[in-house]
Amino acid sequence: MKKHDKQIENQEIEELTNQLKRAVADYQNLEKRTTEQKREWILAANQGLIAKLLTVLDSLFLAQKHIQDDGLNLSIQKFLDILKEESVERIEVEDKEFDPNSMECVSVQAGEENKVLEEVRPGFIMNNRVLRPSQVIVGGKLTN
Amino acid sequence: MAKIIGIDLGTTNSAMAVMEGGAPKVIHSREGRNVIPSVVDPVTHVVGDVAKRQLVLKPKNTIFSIKRLMGKKFKDESVQFDIKWLPYTIKAGRDGMADVEVDGKTLTPQEVSAMILQKIKADAEAYLGGKVTQAVITVPAYFDDSQRQATKQAGEIAGLEVLRIINEPTAAALAYGLDKKNAHTIAVYDLGGGTFDISILELGEGVYEVKSTNGDTHLGGDDFDQAIIDYLAEEFEKENQVDLRKDPQALQRLRESAEKAKIELSTSTEAQINQPFITQGSNGPLHLTMTLTRAKLEQIVDELVQKTLKPVEQALKDAKIKVGDINEIVMVGGMTRMPKIVEVVSKFFGKEPNKSVNPDEVVAVGAAVQAGVLGGEVKDVLLLDVTPLTLGIETLGGVSTPLISKNTTIPSSKSQVFSTAADNQTQVEINVLQGERAMAQDNKSLGRFILDGIPPAPRGVPQVEVAFDIDASGILNVKAQDKATGKEQSIKITGSTGLTDAEVEQMTKDAEAHAKEDEEARSAVEVKNQADSLIFTAEKSLKDAGDKVSAELKTEVEGKIKALKDVLPSGTKDEIETKTKELSDSLQKIGEQMSKQQQSDGEGSAASADSSGEPKEETKADESSSANASEDKPVEGEVVN
Repeated sequence: MKKHDKQIENQEIEELTNQLKRAVADYQNLEKRTTEQKREWILAANQGLIAKLLTVLDSLFLAQKHIQDDGLNLSIQKFLDILKEESVERIEVEDKEFDPNSMECVSVQAGEENKVLEEVRPGFIMNNRVLRPSQVIVGGKLTN
Repeated sequence: MAKIIGIDLGTTNSAMAVMEGGAPKVIHSREGRNVIPSVVDPVTHVVGDVAKRQLVLKPKNTIFSIKRLMGKKFKDESVQFDIKWLPYTIKAGRDGMADVEVDGKTLTPQEVSAMILQKIKADAEAYLGGKVTQAVITVPAYFDDSQRQATKQAGEIAGLEVLRIINEPTAAALAYGLDKKNAHTIAVYDLGGGTFDISILELGEGVYEVKSTNGDTHLGGDDFDQAIIDYLAEEFEKENQVDLRKDPQALQRLRESAEKAKIELSTSTEAQINQPFITQGSNGPLHLTMTLTRAKLEQIVDELVQKTLKPVEQALKDAKIKVGDINEIVMVGGMTRMPKIVEVVSKFFGKEPNKSVNPDEVVAVGAAVQAGVLGGEVKDVLLLDVTPLTLGIETLGGVSTPLISKNTTIPSSKSQVFSTAADNQTQVEINVLQGERAMAQDNKSLGRFILDGIPPAPRGVPQVEVAFDIDASGILNVKAQDKATGKEQSIKITGSTGLTDAEVEQMTKDAEAHAKEDEEARSAVEVKNQADSLIFTAEKSLKDAGDKVSAELKTEVEGKIKALKDVLPSGTKDEIETKTKELSDSLQKIGEQMSKQQQSDGEGSAASADSSGEPKEETKADESSSANASEDKPVEGEVVN
């Protein structure tokens, strides 16, 4: 009987020890992750706002395509300069192979296979992270 | 200890969660999203958002909606239907099962699903910082044995031991803890990206049993988007005679606008659609500008919303349950954020549905809860209490100084060093307070005791450490110890958390209502304390300096001290502040004079010149103090912790 009690006691100790270890581990991991997240937050603090502002830039690009105005060109350049200051860089797509990591194919047209034919909407990278992929038209063999 | 993750392997999107510290936590993908698109390129092994981006370029190589083929025979009616619209090749494989063919290679749906699971596993491992080998995966309630088996195999191929396959609606119910609430009969309304499911569950013997299930395998958020696109395009065509749907680039932008407007209209009643230069008209560029109201949106999608009710009725009928017998309704899937859907569902069932858990994550969360139960984590969850109100002590001037703040998870302990307020004070009184108010008199006194036998010393010199320790059951131990003699006194308070909810609420409300005046009262005391401290320093400096300062300066400082002393008892805050400033300025001159004389013993004045540098803590002087000063004498102390 006594031995049995002891066994139960040991089992309980083991259970509680495990539980404690788990709690401490969870806590330590949380701490590590919080530190990491804080670092990320600082990096990404402006990301949401910039992503929204990019839609305005899109409109400016489209306007430029249609009206070709020097003043507008300067305005766009200013916009891009400021983005650069915030380490936001335009994804280079011209004459590149299609890469789904940084580009999104919105349409396929006859042309050199897997090559970017046209940029529909520019994409941007911020701190080595794709803020928004470039939307591109890619060359390929057209079926039907 | 290795964690078991919960996985919602969805038709359109997948999600994952894990139990952490006794609560489910959704794991974000490496791309930083809470869901991963269930899209795979089996050739390049690209999964998720990245694979989705090449869908247009490689429609034959990019597999999505693979869940629709899981465990199905090629000849199945549903497979024959899906073949017509899925762009990749589907063919009959071993035992007549439906397989996909990519680049001349035959793949089973299990293998394709395994690639999604591999990505989930890898992202979870990156997040948890350790290997993940076990998982709980959810499947629709209507999945048959062969489909469940296929899901399990997918897990195994991905290197995951599937501890259990659970039903998606059951997971959703678990996420809301409905089993613990003893909700007997539950309806789970799941409107996802591409499918609609309704399930009726019944709790028996602690397990949810699926009584009936119904739905529409081809009704979801995408249909809602399409309805909006059609409306916008038709309106545009009426005005400009151009069909935007025929221009792929315009259609792309239209789709984005439609989705954005749909999401916006879940929280606001109006959405602006503004896409300049959307296409080229015969007379130059055309712009799409439109205002979509929530009322209009609801009208556009009304047919789709109503379409979900028929399966609901059928499910109730199959389960032989009346609408009134449903105890709880759970909402799943991003589309259930639409207010119209909540309204229609509430109206149908005659009660408000559960929708507080993110509907995109709720199934994964429930899977994690189940994983926690299997891992023995949920059973053993320590329900830790929190302190409902702030605990502290009364300090100089009747101020309440917090030690353990409100909502601190207990057990917890905190200590801080205080000092005496008067010269030769031999005892301090510790008044333990509970409440959010700034002044001691407005808070509840839980108990008080006196620590005596402090050796006589100038004010501010003795160090009294006050330690609060509150254990898991809410028992508060307060101990005060004189660090010089080691002498200590303590008190045990058992009622520190034993407040009714109403009491806590009342006290919190009071604190909010009086926040401003309390703050004023506190700052008034602080100004007084500061002034008092400066008088003390000034008198000491004059004494220390002796004849090293000029007689005029001495008279000036003495005059300022007297002026400050005069306003101290009844002056306004501003008066006291002004006089304090004047005295402080004069005091600095003492320092200047002394350093000019280049005397080596100039410390006294140097210290006095910097009367507000260090952070200070003060204790209330004991009334029985032998000092001649008033009881409200400030002193310096130092924060230990």
